[in-house]
Amino acid sequence: MTDVMTPKAPQWWKKPDVKKTAILWVVCTAVIGYVGAEFHVRNMVSPASETMSGVISLMRVFTWAAAPVAGLVAAMCLTVLTSKRHYGDNPPAEADHQVSNSPRATALWIVVSALLCLFALVGGFIVIQKDSSSLFDKSALQVNVTGQQWLWNFDYENGARSEDLYLPVNKPVVFHITSVDVKHSFWVVQMGIKMDANPGYTTEAAVTPNKIGVFDVRCTELCGLLHAYMQTKVHVVSQADYDAWLSIHVQIEKGA
Amino acid sequence: MTTVMSKPVSAPGKSIIEKLNFFTALALGAISAIVVWRLALQFLPEDTEVRLFTREDKITLLSMTAWLVGFMTGIGALVGPFRWLMGKDLSHEENMFLAGKDMGIKRYFRYTTDHKVIGIQYLVIIMVIFGIGGILAMLIRTNLGSSEGGWIHPQAYNSIVGTHGIIMIVGTIIMVTGPFGNFIMPIMIGARDMAFPRLNALSFWLIVAAAVPLLWGQFLGGISTGWTAYNPLASQAPLGMDGYIMFICIFAISTMVAGANITTTVVRMRAKGMTWNRTPIFVYGVVASVALGLPAFPVFFLSQIMSAMDRALDTSFYNTAGGGSGWLYENLFWIMGHPEVYVILIPAIAALMEMAPVFTRRPLFSFNVAVMGIAGISGLSVLVWAHHMYLSGWAPLLNTPFMLTTELISIPTGMLFLVLVGTLWRGRLWMTMPTMSIFALLWNFMIGGITGIYLSDVPADAFLHGSMYVTAHFHYTLIGAGLTGALAALVYWFPAMTGRMFDKKLSWVAFWIVQIGFNIAFIGMFTVGLAGQPRRVEAYASTFNTGNMITTGGAYLIMSGMLVLLYGVISSWKSGVKAPKNPWQAKTLEWTVGYPVPLENFEVLPTVTSDPYGYGKAQS
Repeated sequence: MTDVMTPKAPQWWKKPDVKKTAILWVVCTAVIGYVGAEFHVRNMVSPASETMSGVISLMRVFTWAAAPVAGLVAAMCLTVLTSKRHYGDNPPAEADHQVSNSPRATALWIVVSALLCLFALVGGFIVIQKDSSSLFDKSALQVNVTGQQWLWNFDYENGARSEDLYLPVNKPVVFHITSVDVKHSFWVVQMGIKMDANPGYTTEAAVTPNKIGVFDVRCTELCGLLHAYMQTKVHVVSQADYDAWLSIHVQIEKGA
Repeated sequence: MTTVMSKPVSAPGKSIIEKLNFFTALALGAISAIVVWRLALQFLPEDTEVRLFTREDKITLLSMTAWLVGFMTGIGALVGPFRWLMGKDLSHEENMFLAGKDMGIKRYFRYTTDHKVIGIQYLVIIMVIFGIGGILAMLIRTNLGSSEGGWIHPQAYNSIVGTHGIIMIVGTIIMVTGPFGNFIMPIMIGARDMAFPRLNALSFWLIVAAAVPLLWGQFLGGISTGWTAYNPLASQAPLGMDGYIMFICIFAISTMVAGANITTTVVRMRAKGMTWNRTPIFVYGVVASVALGLPAFPVFFLSQIMSAMDRALDTSFYNTAGGGSGWLYENLFWIMGHPEVYVILIPAIAALMEMAPVFTRRPLFSFNVAVMGIAGISGLSVLVWAHHMYLSGWAPLLNTPFMLTTELISIPTGMLFLVLVGTLWRGRLWMTMPTMSIFALLWNFMIGGITGIYLSDVPADAFLHGSMYVTAHFHYTLIGAGLTGALAALVYWFPAMTGRMFDKKLSWVAFWIVQIGFNIAFIGMFTVGLAGQPRRVEAYASTFNTGNMITTGGAYLIMSGMLVLLYGVISSWKSGVKAPKNPWQAKTLEWTVGYPVPLENFEVLPTVTSDPYGYGKAQS
């Protein structure tokens, strides 16, 4: 109140509400960044491929990049909420100013949000570029994936077919995905890849599993009655085990 | 003129306009549907091809169309155009009758053209829609509350998910522009009514007409495809799908008509002196919303007509084997589907921007930035649709440009944040439920917005797409931001619409229960999405038990909060405290007319001399 009356108001950064907001901003940014990043990282599945590790660190980076903006909004809200509040049926006294604009704040806000947007875009573009080049890896293992209501079929290069997916560890694989009836979506959860299976078309997705273990494949496009049960397992095994499995499986196919 | 002379007192019976109402409409609609159904059953040739359902589809679609025509005729939608064709337009008395002059409660059951009546009609139908959609949501959450496999049959479960989705989308599309856009907005701009009052009544009654095919479809196998109704799943779905198709077509017409009407009203009928700089921001929000509907909904309409033709006439727009493509459907659907989320969001945020200066007693911070934000979001929103199709395989090379447009939306969205936070800053905070809703919106929309950035990023989306994470994200934007704004608008404009104050205590109780329940429910849903639970499943792995239990618990909290709110609406409407003329001491025109608002609102049209945000004391 008195600030307004004095001929020389203090510089804007010396005003008490600005100081309070500045402190809260630092606190809020730290809390939001930490809680947000941990919330995502801890709830996400543990990665079984470089791609998935990339997604997890991307989430961490994006959360921290967004934290200062969210932190500023939170800090300003907290400052406002902890200042004098008026309850009652009649309005409080009018505010002691009529500020309806601030070109500096507006310009700063727009420039900063544009820069953050640019940062997110560039980050994403780099990863896309890396991911899409692996689709053309000639040395990669080629597996045909066929969705149908409500199971997955996997066809390997030497004619073997299975309903559980088997992959050798540390070898790039390219999936050729299609469907025989309606749209499905092929999601290898722990490897962070997903691609729709469209009837009449073949789509591609590529990944390199880097961990031995059993992982999940789930359908993520509503495909009718038993959509929820259209799941199977991925067995990532050593190259030797994979070769053994494949040769036995081929014999089974031929025998049948 | 002749019409005056040809209405002698001795005329037997009432004129046709006076006889028609909701009940004649129901009767005529039902009769038409049954007659056409019998005729079609009799005369349509039997199927000879291998395709199932085709004949049944034709019969269903024909009878639903007959219902629509019968209902709209029965309500009186055709009287005006017909009389105009005959060269005898409606007389002044007849127009006054249509406007609902001196008719009391009956006008709510007629083809009434008064925008205030239509606003109340919308408010009531939205409460019905949210009631039904909410019950369906509770069924879903209850089914998912227990571990593997629910007690609802998968077919019924899928249908509940689809119906919940589509009616909630429709409900949220009309939740602000329907009641407040109709009741408040014309008064706010100083107009006597909408530009086309009869079209206004048309767009409302079309929504009522649309409800019946959707209900009908529930008895024909339901909508087992989710609200998106992707093909080819939709073409193999049971006959209930025709109910969905008909529902969408009728709703799309209603939205297009309302969009043209509201846009014209705002462009042409603002009070003298209300330049664009003096037009309240809420009006911008409403116009942006309905104007976005203008390019979006014709596409939706078309996509469903093609879907109907694929089902009933063996065309193959979406059938790969016949030369079509499911990707065509996805494109058409999302060309509607992404502008549509901003159709929902923008007016809700604009309503809160309208309230912010009132409850902080200072001017709106940066009106120009607010307008630019709304315009920027509207413009960009028609260019982002394929981010729903990053992983469809349709055009991987387009992922990069669509990622660009999508992430650009964060800039105008940030502007809306700036306006709201800037207005709260150094205001005199008047604590009411709408004030607190601004904070709730900032919180929820921040979470919805940031999770939206992860989803817009192609590599992250390759993990998150189609999971519960997406479901949680869009509930944060549509409910956390959209519904929060709409409920605040209800409390804020309640005195103007009903003459009574919304019970203060109940509004607070409902607010806190809904907001806490909402955040519990959907943060729980984020966790299971991150852990790998797909959307629209009726059973899940046991690792997702905890998250789903939390979500179901939160959902029950939301339900209890909404029931408190419903009780608040009913009790305050019936016996609330009588509202003073301008209870919030606001400066917009809707508070100058008092209650009840007279027919045609203003005796003398107002002249506007300043912007409506002149709060605060001028600095010396």
